[in-house]
Amino acid sequence: MFVRRVELTNFRNYESANLAFSRGTTAILGKNGQGKTSLAESIAYLSCLRSFRGVPNESLVRIGTDSAVIRADVIHDDGRELLIEAEINLNGRNRVLVNKQTLRRTRDLLGVLRATVFSPDDLAIVKDGPALRRDLIDDALVAIDSRFDAIRTEVDRVIRQRNVLLKQAGGRLTEDVALTLDVWDEKLVAAGTVMGEERASLIARMNTEVPNAYDQLAERHSAVELRYEPEWRSRGLAHALAEARSDDIRRGVSTVGPHRDDIEISINGLTARFHASQGEQRSLVLALRLAIHRMVAEAVGSVPILVLDDVLSELDPDRANALIANLPHGQVIITSASGVPEETKPDAIVRIAAGEVIES
Amino acid sequence: MASPYSPPMQALIDELGRMPGIGPKSAQRIAFHLLKVPEEDARRLAQSILNAKAKVRFCEMCFNISDEPQCSVCSDERRDRTMICVVEESRDVVALEKTGVYKGLYHVLLGAINPLEGIGVDQLKIRELMMRINDAEPAIQEVILSTNPNTEGDVTAMYLQRLLAPFEIKVTKLASGLPVGGDLEYADELTLGRAIEGRREVGA
Repeated sequence: MFVRRVELTNFRNYESANLAFSRGTTAILGKNGQGKTSLAESIAYLSCLRSFRGVPNESLVRIGTDSAVIRADVIHDDGRELLIEAEINLNGRNRVLVNKQTLRRTRDLLGVLRATVFSPDDLAIVKDGPALRRDLIDDALVAIDSRFDAIRTEVDRVIRQRNVLLKQAGGRLTEDVALTLDVWDEKLVAAGTVMGEERASLIARMNTEVPNAYDQLAERHSAVELRYEPEWRSRGLAHALAEARSDDIRRGVSTVGPHRDDIEISINGLTARFHASQGEQRSLVLALRLAIHRMVAEAVGSVPILVLDDVLSELDPDRANALIANLPHGQVIITSASGVPEETKPDAIVRIAAGEVIES
Repeated sequence: MASPYSPPMQALIDELGRMPGIGPKSAQRIAFHLLKVPEEDARRLAQSILNAKAKVRFCEMCFNISDEPQCSVCSDERRDRTMICVVEESRDVVALEKTGVYKGLYHVLLGAINPLEGIGVDQLKIRELMMRINDAEPAIQEVILSTNPNTEGDVTAMYLQRLLAPFEIKVTKLASGLPVGGDLEYADELTLGRAIEGRREVGA
């Protein structure tokens, strides 16, 4: 699939902008702070309905206005043309229309446009705590099969409800609290177990894809491994929750479950988070993204739109070239402040200044 | 930032904005509309709010809204007194009554278990339901759990199911499935999935 045109109204720093993209590679050039990332973000928003930088949706709306609109013409591989219109409202519900038809749930947009975004912030996936690694895996599962979003939403909702209930209990496990916890646990077990299975099966597949991608990018062999072995999965979530109950009550928060999982990444037997060099960590996040990009392409039979937001400038020329050389054939959108590496051979160049397209 | 409205206008907008489903924009629109209508229309609206508040109360049996101590369903001698249909809100009673299919009694919980909104088991009319079942004469034969098919509604139904397990009562749940007059291909996957799970044998 590819995106032919994006029109932004009051999205981040854009009052209004209209951009045309090549079906091949489009380079978006501009100094820092001019709106390159906002552009990348608008495409990312259409693919996952939230910011890839993890900022709240409200901050996607231009200051002083109360609603942002992203319009995009998307062409699927079978030639089907879709006009997506997404409205982010500060007051009231967000709305999504596809070919002028309002979607009953905004979630139904998932899968209409698929995009993989590489961002400089990705380094945190390897360096920081487990939350970003869980998001990476869960986002990939949604991209592969949008039905996973319902599981993810359910787990998230049950955990939030359960945590409030635990807090309200104030450290005392009365009969009433126990009975109410029982039913929340039953819900959590149903959705959480599925979530664990899905994560485990994706990670098993990633364990062949990620090492391949890593070797291609680093141009030498290293033993890269992902490990997803949450303790609760070996005993079953129901059992684990029952055992953790007194702890949960005492601490007023759900201490066990898929919301606490980590995915450990190691290079040559050492935890990447603590022991890998900056260069290795950088190759690793690229390898993770690239592997997922390929797996999604394979699973859905169509290459997602690839957005490289300011990442090439951070890489040494060898790695940048290796990345470009190993990308599956599809639409690529590259943003850069410092010009585009020659190897990318852009078909179109767009220049941006102060939230406006000055040349395309 | 100072309000651009005079204090009485701002107060009206604020009050309207506290209604469920009314955002700041709608509140503003309704407020401006109310300023334009003749004074007697405004008075009639205000009066009907006060009237409803003063006269409408909850049925002492089932907590459906009612203008008598007992609602029209509970006081109707022709209803089957051995069946109770448990719903979250009075408006669900209205929806079910419109079908004309159900002939039993109701019990309105006045919500669903929702810790995030501060609604726990004690805020719902669950204890009253259990007392009703205990004291019922004739005895209750069937309880139909008709909470909403979302996370909180499901959890509430599961909770009631556990409470009712010790009783010798048939506990059923509303079937969830396809809307009549709809097309299979347009049903969302969750609904369709539940419809497959809840399929029934035809003929015999």
